[in-house]
Amino acid sequence: MRENLTTEGAYFLAKWLDGTISDTKLRTLVSEKDFIDYKKLKNGLDLLDQLDRPVTPSFNSVKSSINQKINVKKTQQSFKWGLSIAASILIIFGCYFAFNPLDTRYETSYAEQKTIKLPDGSEVVLNAKSVVNFTQKDWDTNRSIQLKGEAFFKVKKGSTFRVQTPKGQVTVLGTKFNVKHTDAFFEVVCYEGKVSVTNDKKEHILNPGNSIRKIDGNDSEKYTSKKLFPSWVNGESSFVSVPLNYVILELEKQYNIEIDASKIDESIIFTGSFSNKDLKLALASVFKTMNIHYIKDKNGVLILQ
Amino acid sequence: MIKDLNNICNEKVFEKLFNTHAKDLRRFLFFKTQDMNLAEDILQDAFIKLWDHCNNVNPAKAKSFLFTVAKNMFFNYKKHEKVVMNHQKRAPKSSNYETPEYLLVEKEFLVKIEEAISTLPEKQKEVFLLSRIEKKKYKEIAEIVGISVKAVEKRMHLALLKMKDKIGDV
Repeated sequence: MRENLTTEGAYFLAKWLDGTISDTKLRTLVSEKDFIDYKKLKNGLDLLDQLDRPVTPSFNSVKSSINQKINVKKTQQSFKWGLSIAASILIIFGCYFAFNPLDTRYETSYAEQKTIKLPDGSEVVLNAKSVVNFTQKDWDTNRSIQLKGEAFFKVKKGSTFRVQTPKGQVTVLGTKFNVKHTDAFFEVVCYEGKVSVTNDKKEHILNPGNSIRKIDGNDSEKYTSKKLFPSWVNGESSFVSVPLNYVILELEKQYNIEIDASKIDESIIFTGSFSNKDLKLALASVFKTMNIHYIKDKNGVLILQ
Repeated sequence: MIKDLNNICNEKVFEKLFNTHAKDLRRFLFFKTQDMNLAEDILQDAFIKLWDHCNNVNPAKAKSFLFTVAKNMFFNYKKHEKVVMNHQKRAPKSSNYETPEYLLVEKEFLVKIEEAISTLPEKQKEVFLLSRIEKKKYKEIAEIVGISVKAVEKRMHLALLKMKDKIGDV
């Protein structure tokens, strides 16, 4: 490497690095290849600087972007809801079911439906083959109810209202919603208010008419319905894209019959409804469209084929 | 909403995650994009997305979420770029290719530079780091170390020389 030996130029690389000497000048002091190498090196050093700079300014940008988004959302929300209930339902898909002996219990058997009035005026409409448990004492401060099966809740405003099922928990502050849990089927439908559903895998916000469900360990699904309350309250069971086995389970509950479905494919998806008041009609609604026939054996069991 | 220490929706948790992962992500993005501004944009967008999904992501999985999101964003950016280029009547402007090819930087190269710095002789390393990291001028370094400005320049010059030789042919 050629080195300029005057005192001024002796350490020209240092001068070039801090900008005292220009690229053009450097080019006259070293070979072209060396110039390129030095240029690359300097470029790399500059980049290292940039890559190592503090992240705080970036974080501040992120924060202000997020705040801008939140402000927009808030404006939309208050416009939509005004003074209505900020009803938020939190559902935690837990894997536990803490069973505490509670002093009051209501149960429906097959083909039965019950409306229960809770101490604070809230109402529970219990669908067939379902059980609720709760404690009357301290109800106003501790509104906690256990559910197995399906129920439609009309909750009066008050302290936090909790519904526990073996597959999940629903927490609400005054609204109308339906909770259904059967085996591996968990579903919540919001009819009034605004719902925030949280489990450890996904978060969903439900508006009236929206619902969330989790079937057989698959991902949670959302769908929309225009109803004001579940159809079974009025004597009709309806389903949107539900595996047939759950429809059959519901038939059994509503009519107290036994159905043998071993010969058919129960995973077919069904959308439709059946009457809870007329078995023949109900069976036709469900099976006719799918070309499934049935016969009754000597024990009264319906065999599907 | 549950505000607990294990939830990304908690601002403190989110900030901590940012401070933990932002530099790595920025570095990763720079090597992918070769564009510091684009890297910064995607970095910020990725964290914003993390915030949007704060209820669905476990803090322990935040890093993989961020990197996956960032990769997808870059991929989409490239797809968009292709569409834009295909619709341009003229040839692409040279401003896209401002950086002469020989200045494109690869990860391995930066690693080599870092290594070269770390293996500098103590006296040179001290001066070099004061200049590059602490951003001190040669005059200030002279005072700090207790040597003449010329001596500082000599050490810097030799350091650069050594580094260039060590990195060799790039």
